[in-house]
Amino acid sequence: MRIHQEHGPATMVFIGDPHNGCAAKAGNGGLFPDSPHVQERRVSGSSDKPELIDELLTLIGDADQAHALLCQKTALMVDEMLENALYAAPRSSDGLPLFQKGEPRQLLPDERIRLRYHFDGSRLALEVRDSWGSLTAAQVFAFLAQNTAQTLPEPDRAGRGLFFMWRLMDQFYVSIRPRVETVVGGCLQLRPLTC
Amino acid sequence: MHQSFHVHHQQAQQCDSFLLHGIIDAHADQHLEEVVRLASAPTVQLDFSGVGRINSMGIALLLRSIKTLKHEKQAEVQISGLNQINSMLFKMTGIFLMAREVNA
Repeated sequence: MRIHQEHGPATMVFIGDPHNGCAAKAGNGGLFPDSPHVQERRVSGSSDKPELIDELLTLIGDADQAHALLCQKTALMVDEMLENALYAAPRSSDGLPLFQKGEPRQLLPDERIRLRYHFDGSRLALEVRDSWGSLTAAQVFAFLAQNTAQTLPEPDRAGRGLFFMWRLMDQFYVSIRPRVETVVGGCLQLRPLTC
Repeated sequence: MHQSFHVHHQQAQQCDSFLLHGIIDAHADQHLEEVVRLASAPTVQLDFSGVGRINSMGIALLLRSIKTLKHEKQAEVQISGLNQINSMLFKMTGIFLMAREVNA
């Protein structure tokens, strides 16, 4: 049996200012319906991550292999989005990371991280926003280019998490308000398996 | 529930086998260092059949470990037991350029 899994990188919409029309289409009305079933969770620290991932996996269920694959992708995407918000986004005034990956941490008093999701049975929309706005457009494109390049694998290549999101999501967007907010989101489609 | 990462080691004359369990992320650092330290045979098999998620930090740690096994220990690294998504990640990140996939 062959399982359909490979598809090209997601269409990426890059949004510099989430208050313009493009942002409204891609970041709000486009992937998230105007529905009371859209869920939003405030993150208080790194210890929230396993519970949030479990919440999504329970929602999707593992009825068959297609759902199991969607669960695997979802767990990875939420993991990467939250790791970015918790560890890559917080920067000092001179641009240095404030926290090391793997280090347990609570949010700072004026820091906000929110996870938003919606699953309609066939498509999962996901979004994580942080209150740092430290990512830049140039970094996003550089990360994707570096990780796409066919060179020998380097352990410490930056931006691998964003690269995974771009490759595995069916749509992917980044919205940045410098020093105010970064929003990373996209959607995953439940794909029927082909034999 | 967070699946803590752990490793089970089996040693034969020509092969060190490591059965990996749990999530491979930043918390797997010391366990993977231990894998490198324990490996001494010319072939090292890494069995991922007990592994759930591998995030980007986990991929970085695996790349570092496999690189050390190949270049400092001159070992041939073999990989087995990957699930669909982890197999895709290994292709995307070039791990298969350094380690060969084999049947368990």
